[in-house]
Amino acid sequence: MATAPAPHDPLEPLPLVVGAPDDHTINESLFQYVWKPTGRGWWTVFLISVAGVCWFLTAVVVTISKGIGTWGNNIPVAWAYGIINLVWWIGIGHAGTLISAILLLFQQKWRTSINRFAEAMTLFAVLCAAMYPALHLGRPWFAFWLFPYPSPTRMWPQFKSPLTWDVFAISTYFTVSLLFWYLGLIPDLAALRDASKKKLQRVAYGVMALGWRGSGRHWHDYRLAYLLLAGLSTPLVLSVHSIISWDFATSILPGWHTTIFPPYFVAGAVFSGFAMVLSLIIPARKFMKFEHVVTQKHIDNMCKVMLATGLVVAYGYLMEHFMAWYGGNQYEAFVFRNRRGGPYAPVFWTMIFCNVVVPQIFWTRRARYNLVIVWIASVLINLGMWTERFVIIVTSLHRDFMPSKWEMYYPTWVDWSLYGGTISFFLMCFLLFLRFLPAVAASEIKELRAEMVHDQGAH
Amino acid sequence: MSSLDPTGPDVPIARLRARPERRLWRSLEELARGTAPAGPEFPPGASAPPEPSRRDFLQLLGASAALAGLAGCVREPPEKILPYTRRPEDVAPGNPLHYATAYALDGIATGLLVTSYEGRPTKIEGNPDHPSSRGAAGVFEQALLLSLYDPARARAIRYRGAGRSWRAFLEYAAEAVDLHRKDGGAGLCFLGEPDASPLMADLHERVLRALPAARFFSYAPLAEDAAYEGARLAFGRPLQTRVDFSRARVVVSLDADFLGGGPDRLRAAREFASRRVPESELSRLYVVESALSLTGAMADHRVRMRSSEVVQFALGLALELSPQLQGGPHTQLTATRPLHVMARDLLANQGRSVVVAGARQPPLVHALAHAINAALGNADRTVAYAAPTLPDMAAGPAALAPLVADMRSGRVETLVITAPNPAYTAPADLDFGSALGKVPHAIYHGLYEDETAAQCAWFVPATHSLESWGDARAWDGTVSIVQPLIAPLFAGVTHAELWAAFVGEGDRGAHALVQDYWRRQPGRPDFDAFWEEALHDGVVRGSATRTESVTPRWADIAAAAAAAAAKPTSGGGIELNFLPDSKVYDGRFANNAWLQELPDPITKITWDNALLLSPTTAGRLGVESADLVEVTLRGRSLAAPVFVLPGHADDVASIALGYGRTGLNEELAQGVGANAYLVRPSDAPWFAPGASVRKIGRRARFAITQDHFTMEGRPLALVATPRELRQHPERIEEQRAALPTLYDPVPYPSYRWAMSIDLSRCIGCSACVVACQAENNIPVVGKERVARGREMHWLRIDRYFSGPSALDPEVVFQPVACQHCENAPCEYVCPVNATAHSDEGLNEMVYNRCVGTRYCSNNCPYKVRRFNFFDYVGQRTQPERMLQNPEVSIRSRGVMEKCTYCVQRIERARIDARVAGRTIREGEIQTACQQTCPTRAIVFGSLHDERAEVARLHADERRYDLLHELGTRPRTAYLVRLRNPNPELS
Repeated sequence: MATAPAPHDPLEPLPLVVGAPDDHTINESLFQYVWKPTGRGWWTVFLISVAGVCWFLTAVVVTISKGIGTWGNNIPVAWAYGIINLVWWIGIGHAGTLISAILLLFQQKWRTSINRFAEAMTLFAVLCAAMYPALHLGRPWFAFWLFPYPSPTRMWPQFKSPLTWDVFAISTYFTVSLLFWYLGLIPDLAALRDASKKKLQRVAYGVMALGWRGSGRHWHDYRLAYLLLAGLSTPLVLSVHSIISWDFATSILPGWHTTIFPPYFVAGAVFSGFAMVLSLIIPARKFMKFEHVVTQKHIDNMCKVMLATGLVVAYGYLMEHFMAWYGGNQYEAFVFRNRRGGPYAPVFWTMIFCNVVVPQIFWTRRARYNLVIVWIASVLINLGMWTERFVIIVTSLHRDFMPSKWEMYYPTWVDWSLYGGTISFFLMCFLLFLRFLPAVAASEIKELRAEMVHDQGAH
Repeated sequence: MSSLDPTGPDVPIARLRARPERRLWRSLEELARGTAPAGPEFPPGASAPPEPSRRDFLQLLGASAALAGLAGCVREPPEKILPYTRRPEDVAPGNPLHYATAYALDGIATGLLVTSYEGRPTKIEGNPDHPSSRGAAGVFEQALLLSLYDPARARAIRYRGAGRSWRAFLEYAAEAVDLHRKDGGAGLCFLGEPDASPLMADLHERVLRALPAARFFSYAPLAEDAAYEGARLAFGRPLQTRVDFSRARVVVSLDADFLGGGPDRLRAAREFASRRVPESELSRLYVVESALSLTGAMADHRVRMRSSEVVQFALGLALELSPQLQGGPHTQLTATRPLHVMARDLLANQGRSVVVAGARQPPLVHALAHAINAALGNADRTVAYAAPTLPDMAAGPAALAPLVADMRSGRVETLVITAPNPAYTAPADLDFGSALGKVPHAIYHGLYEDETAAQCAWFVPATHSLESWGDARAWDGTVSIVQPLIAPLFAGVTHAELWAAFVGEGDRGAHALVQDYWRRQPGRPDFDAFWEEALHDGVVRGSATRTESVTPRWADIAAAAAAAAAKPTSGGGIELNFLPDSKVYDGRFANNAWLQELPDPITKITWDNALLLSPTTAGRLGVESADLVEVTLRGRSLAAPVFVLPGHADDVASIALGYGRTGLNEELAQGVGANAYLVRPSDAPWFAPGASVRKIGRRARFAITQDHFTMEGRPLALVATPRELRQHPERIEEQRAALPTLYDPVPYPSYRWAMSIDLSRCIGCSACVVACQAENNIPVVGKERVARGREMHWLRIDRYFSGPSALDPEVVFQPVACQHCENAPCEYVCPVNATAHSDEGLNEMVYNRCVGTRYCSNNCPYKVRRFNFFDYVGQRTQPERMLQNPEVSIRSRGVMEKCTYCVQRIERARIDARVAGRTIREGEIQTACQQTCPTRAIVFGSLHDERAEVARLHADERRYDLLHELGTRPRTAYLVRLRNPNPELS
């Protein structure tokens, strides 16, 4: 459990698990905070987030009782913070699915230490995201009309609308993410059950462990189910944000109507997802003493993923502006000129700085190894990805075809409260997760260590 | 006179005591006087105590059951009124009736047709039989309904704040007449608005017969005194000028906004527009003015100059055109190029041109216009003269001065004010309010307890025009009988009743007064038939006054011209212009939310007025739009926000009158805008030199519906000259040619509803916007929400400035509502199928299904969809709910709405057609915007009908589609606006 980074031979690959702990030590070190009394720091952050959630509920009550008029939206900017935050949160969720599913299929061993963490993040982010489509409706009490259900009116949703596709995309995504996350938790829940000393804990974890005994049959079925779910999740990584991007791309609005959106949105999602994982895991591994399982190697890898996806995003920006010029459509050309030099230009240039300039520091090992720099960069990228959605949604809407109906958009306190409120909700869920559930997949770490020992023995 | 005070201490106590017989009395003054009550205790329509009849009891029972007695009950006036088109045995519930009536603004009437559901007027249209309307109605007429149901209207007769009965007032008036009889009425004054009503003229005479020394004054802040004075100068007597724009090939306007204002603006607009389309010989319009007006916006050539310079321009023009004046003095302005070109153009069109002078200009300009028209032989061709319809020619601010002097010196003991709110509208230098304080017995009759009511002892609520019996005359003298559509909602009496109180007939009721008057007129053997016809048609046929042939007095004009030419043009400083407001007029409509929220046609400002400056002047003063400035004129100052307006004259500041109201009960109007009357001088009521403008340093926030001036080079509102149209047909062709599509065309088996909007005809007056608001129950949202971009108007009028210079822009208006695209982008994005296409091609909104994702609005390239951000319907007050059109569903919070092509009117026509077993005929359906349009710019019908006008216009060479390249295939087609510039000037 070395806390200070030891001088390291650059030719030697970084270890994924520091030291050679046995199963018992792994259990001890990864589950210790579940048994320990809650610290003051946890309580402080938790209470702040609960206060934020209360504030969020106030804003929700205001929105539902008074109407969307309490937001800053208008005509032409009929979508604003609601949809910006939806896309932002959904994007953040993507890292979890990518890490747990795609990296599993690609047999990237380094995913083991962070997948649980990232999956939980996905789940909470999708929860936050899913609140917005309902809240932003003019009549949220009829949100269920977006689902196909047999009703006496014989009315179905309109399947031509990308918003209907959203309903399926997001609900599928949430369901699969939940199953995947829970399935992975089962062996660890059983371990917690076995280690718990109090009756209540034993019963609670026992119920959640669904009778896991760790038999060979169990492991066999578990592996199969896990692999199948990973296979199911993999297309979701690509589909969910593609469908979200179709909310824009299928419209006729300049700035939205573009074919590059699906890949560009998916890359942006992964980009922001990894940024969020880093923003959370850097403080968490320190306070929860996970440095030996979430090592510099993981952080290094994640920085490289961010660099790669960041470059895809930058390419997307470049192409949008290039095509606006090359396409010769005056409306489209204007939208991009307006992004660069219009009233919301500061937001655009913030986006360029955060999403294009900042990730370039990850070309250097120095930056990737400096946790403070990595953390600041990851927060900036999160901010940048939020401004990207602002730029796409607000600047395209506020000046479209008819100059006579151009208007500015300004958010209200309710808009800010709902945004801050979902961040608080996310934080609250996360703190509860860290407190009561194993944040690192102990069973997989054990397996990984066993494989490492086996590999070393074979050399 | 203090013994008139009904509660005062001067009721002789002795008389109260000395009562031998046992009597019943109802008030102290009645007991003291010992006479029976002179009239009914309550005015007609006031909720009288129920008499013990079963019928009344049941009525009352029904009334109280129907929510405070307002919402559900039939409030037809008790007298017989006649429906316009149908005369059913009884009112068929759910079927509207249409009644003809008239509304007089500053004394000149426009004929109206009012739709009424179960005695509840819900919509106003123009009366097609009325010469000033021809079926059209302007913004003021359209918005009358909301004023009718305004909850802020006064509800009780008051004496020094305490409620009184109408009978108490009648007794008071009777005693006042008795007392004034001593000196023949020398201390009795009437201050009314100019009124062409024959009944009022008759009452005027009858008062004078009883009290020969009584005096009558007329006051209207926007009165057109100068026009009559100009005629007096030119012809020796005041005459009214009637212009026939449909015959004029060249029109020169000397600061005359004949399209935006004036008593006959609807007819003028229609005639003018009829010459702006290629079907007729295209007319050419030159406008000389300072602030950009609607007329200026239509000009082919517009010369901007200070209002005070127009007289020099007119002189120059007159000297070139009328040989009778030549050889006289020359002015500095005669050298300007546009003037020569204009003069040549006029000379080339003798007898087919007209020069019109604006009411804001001094008499000389009017006289010169008459002289030019005479010299060009236009008189009796494009312009005719007639005896004035209005009996009171001097009604402007200057005419008020002698009355105010008398009030101040105590010579006015009783003042009966029926003019709307003079304490507010009088120029500040007269200080009418304080003079009013010196009048011991001031009686004010008005719709609201406003600024004037606060200063008067007596307040008598007026009935609204739609609640009143009366008569009125149009600009050409045509008489209309004004019939009420509804019994007075709040206790009130008409002008006529108030005046009749001074001849002892105040208790007879307005119906009897007007009927008696017309019964007395000779030449009507069958009075009942005459009366029924007059009520039914809304006009008395053949009652127009004849035009006369007159010759100018050249010598007088020449002398006046020489005097004016010798006078130096007014000095330095900024010239301050006072303008009639396009929405609140002189302030009387300030409490009308439809009008307050209507964007000004030129500035697009709502809920405000502004100090208009040209870009150059604003730059010189170092101010920009929304900066608060202090305007000072002759020691009086006013704080107002600046609005920089392209096309405004330099070194001139213009401000609209009618804002900055302080009346306590008119909550909507309070604090909206700046009160320009505070700096308006009585001797220069329209423009005055020597103003200064100082930046205060604070900023105001405007609620502007369109703050982007230009089209950004996009093909939106297309403008072309006939020549360009001929030479470059491809420019229009590419805005309408069929676009390739993969799909088979959709068959529309029955009808293909479509609209066309002719930009050549549209003058931007905005009557259609208010008509749409009234027809479709569209809510108003208030200044804050308009500023946020949440106005609800289904139809908006886009105003673009174009041309090479921001100083002299060309202006084009474009009404935009839902285009009913055949390939509608809004439809496929709705996740719940709430907006769908009908088999007749309507893009329909299913309010009940809408959940409010607002995606449809995002995907609408025309941005014509409106969202209910709040619960607007629930915020309506009880009387306001009465005006809702029962044919149109109201929309709840969170629901999208937009133009429906007035689908309720289509369905009404469909029902009628089905009952008659036929298809809907061409012309049977008129949308609300189309019906009210003074210039007939909007046409609606089915494209399947080959004879339909809309089908013809969709095939017109000027037709194009808005944002054609998107392939939305809109059903609303636009027709290119034609300009007819003079080749010599371009």
